[in-house]
Amino acid sequence: MAARTDSVIEPAGNPAAEEHVVIFRLADEYYAVDIQAVQEIVRMQTITSIPGSESWVEGITNLRGRVVPVIDLRRRCGVTANEPASETRIVVVSSSNGMVGLIVDAVSEVMRIPADQVELPSTIVAAAENTYLRGIAKLEDRLVSLMDLDGVLPSEGVNEEVAAAAAA
Amino acid sequence: MATTKGQPLQFDLDDDDLKLFCEEADEQIELLDSSLVQLEGEPDPELVQQIFRAAHTLKGSSATIGHKKMASLTHAMETVLDAVRQGRRTATAEVVDALLAGLDALRVLANEVVTRRDSGTETSTLEADLLATLDADRPEQTTAAARPTRRLTEVQLKEALLALDEGSVVVYAVELVIEAGCQLPSIRCYQALQELDALGSVFASWPDRDAVEAGAGEFALSAVIGVNASDEQVHAALMSVTDVATLTIRQMAAADLEASAAETASPVTAPAPRPQLTIVDDSARGDTPRGAAPKKAAQSVRIDVERLDGLMNLVGELVIDRTRLQQIRDQLSGVLRDANMTELTENFEETTSHLARVTDELQEEIMRSRMLPVRSVLTRLPRLVRDVAAKCGKKVELFTAGEETELDRSVIEEISDPLVHILRNAVDHGIETPEERRAAGKPETGTVTVTAWNQETYIYLSVKDDGKGIDTKTLRNKAVEKGLVSREVAEAATEDQAVQYIFFAGLSTARQISDVSGRGVGMDIVRTNIERLNGQITVHSTPGKGSEVIIQLPLTLATTKALMVQSNETVYAIPLVSVTEALADHDAEIHSVNGRRTLRLRSRLLPVVELAQALGDRSPRRIDSGRFVVAARHGDRQVAFMVDRLLGEQDVVVKSLGDIIGNRKGLTGATILGDGSLGLIVDTASLVSEHAQLAASA
Repeated sequence: MAARTDSVIEPAGNPAAEEHVVIFRLADEYYAVDIQAVQEIVRMQTITSIPGSESWVEGITNLRGRVVPVIDLRRRCGVTANEPASETRIVVVSSSNGMVGLIVDAVSEVMRIPADQVELPSTIVAAAENTYLRGIAKLEDRLVSLMDLDGVLPSEGVNEEVAAAAAA
Repeated sequence: MATTKGQPLQFDLDDDDLKLFCEEADEQIELLDSSLVQLEGEPDPELVQQIFRAAHTLKGSSATIGHKKMASLTHAMETVLDAVRQGRRTATAEVVDALLAGLDALRVLANEVVTRRDSGTETSTLEADLLATLDADRPEQTTAAARPTRRLTEVQLKEALLALDEGSVVVYAVELVIEAGCQLPSIRCYQALQELDALGSVFASWPDRDAVEAGAGEFALSAVIGVNASDEQVHAALMSVTDVATLTIRQMAAADLEASAAETASPVTAPAPRPQLTIVDDSARGDTPRGAAPKKAAQSVRIDVERLDGLMNLVGELVIDRTRLQQIRDQLSGVLRDANMTELTENFEETTSHLARVTDELQEEIMRSRMLPVRSVLTRLPRLVRDVAAKCGKKVELFTAGEETELDRSVIEEISDPLVHILRNAVDHGIETPEERRAAGKPETGTVTVTAWNQETYIYLSVKDDGKGIDTKTLRNKAVEKGLVSREVAEAATEDQAVQYIFFAGLSTARQISDVSGRGVGMDIVRTNIERLNGQITVHSTPGKGSEVIIQLPLTLATTKALMVQSNETVYAIPLVSVTEALADHDAEIHSVNGRRTLRLRSRLLPVVELAQALGDRSPRRIDSGRFVVAARHGDRQVAFMVDRLLGEQDVVVKSLGDIIGNRKGLTGATILGDGSLGLIVDTASLVSEHAQLAASA
């Protein structure tokens, strides 16, 4: 089942601990998700939009016979969305909400980040609504935001509230 | 032993398990019943194996539910059967008798699970009898031929005595044991018999000649023979047979012979006198005539439902590919024909159409394998009716029909609650008290009939009572009181329309809230649940005569028949069950009433809405000419949806939209189309009620 990403994080200061992540790019920002959660990475394919859904829900797609919801991570993270380019990918992850596809501008690499390079987001970013960041890794040449998938993907309850608000 | 008869019993199983247990136990007991008697006559190894397996299964399932007596009895039976199976024990009349006695007790014990009362059956003697049949046999192998363990029949005895009298032969008792590792023990036994035949006459053998020739896997053979030869010669002849492990030859005098014939086996082995000839046994037992083909036991395998669901999904994909392949074939055939490749084209077409046929059959078969008789739901009802009737002080008799009607197990799971609810209503609200019934000139006992039947690709369930019918006057008043309809509308409504008010949320006609029918969360919930399954529910009522609720459901939930339409570039599937009409807009009478577009269809006025817009599609739309109108209903409400194109009917495989999107208002799921893209399945129930409501309130 869905690998809870938050269970992987090791307490900072333990030098042996490291995170094995997939790093991808949204516009010019780098994000990472736990490699355990990543099921596959596919090229951009036909996505059927769902009328009346939130703007960051791109729609659903047919992944070899499975209907997989796709989220535009750029919209979700408030990054300007570009037109699909040759590097655009759908990162399919398994979350506590089932399989979900995340549209990213490019997948850059897979790497191990030592836990002592990860800082809690609150010390650097103060954005209160950032429920989906669980840490920021300071690499030599750049910053990588570690994503909490369950924060990115709201549960159905949240969705129902939205639907109820829309219906009222 | 103190009798425990009538004591309540506890078993470790719930209602579902009980059903499963009973089904399995019945199946296995029936199998034992029909095959045990054949064990004696023709111990066909396959039959022995089958019987052994049946006993083994019973042992397992009774142990699982904690039925100790049954488990220990079946264990004893299994032990004996195992010995027979491995050829350590011949299935003699005494063995079969012990097994049959065990079987009779098993039937009673299995029933205890249903009654939950101790039947007072004692199994210890039966078990001792069973195991004793093994003890009796042991000398045959270990202390070979201390005495002939088999009795001679009178005929055999006479024959042997006669031969002995003539003085031409010596009578020997021969016992041989075949090596345990031997692959073909019955062949060795057969060879041994052949050798003995060559020497003289075989008066009797155990197992008998027929059994040996039939290939019973015996590892031991004993015989009484009359030969004109010394015991060395007999020994030499028998040792020429391969795989003979031990051999005992004992000369018998007339007295020995008589003793062996008269000898009743030890008291332990023979609890009761029994017919000596197996043929008598069979006819006495009656049901299976000797020689009749063994009744074919229902061969079945239990399969995890998840696995069936998985198969169903895979076939669903196959169906999609089939459709796609057919489209490709159509596109290709022109190209291939132009290229003068007629043969290739024909081959391709033949193959694709064969594939299509096989796929259809496969889908059908898998659907069938998921079907269960509706009986499992109906069997719960008598108890329920009795309880409810007792609580309300009513006399009600329940009749059920069509228990064998089959439907998909996913539907069965979903149908139970609504059915229970409807039935409660029928007893609680429908049927009158005995006094009222008497006053109305009806029999005191009311009847409720639950009927199930199949028609085309739907299953119908009807709950009919002969009570007072639905009180439409109260319904009308309540509906007005609760502000669900205006006084004028309520008064203008026909009887039949007023009956439908029963489906309004928050309406309960019972004067006081009873703990039987709940608090007005009744029929509206039932209807919502039924419609969620792409079903329909209708109610009819005749004042004073009774009412009937009919539920129509698709045979399976995994696929649904739908009308495919396109609206604002997206393909939607509208479940066919809710579609009443589809027509081109230039044929439709669309008027503007109070600024709203309205379709006049057979004297009814339907609000007209754009399908894509109704679902919340805010993207800019392209206005086409030549569009279509699809009229859909939910209960007695109808709405006309405007769409851009009609794409025809199709069986669609319903897939969830995923948790993240959830059950969106207006959509029940998605389906994969022939070209691999996705179509959205419209939840007509919610969409129609929402828009009919909007139109009504305007």
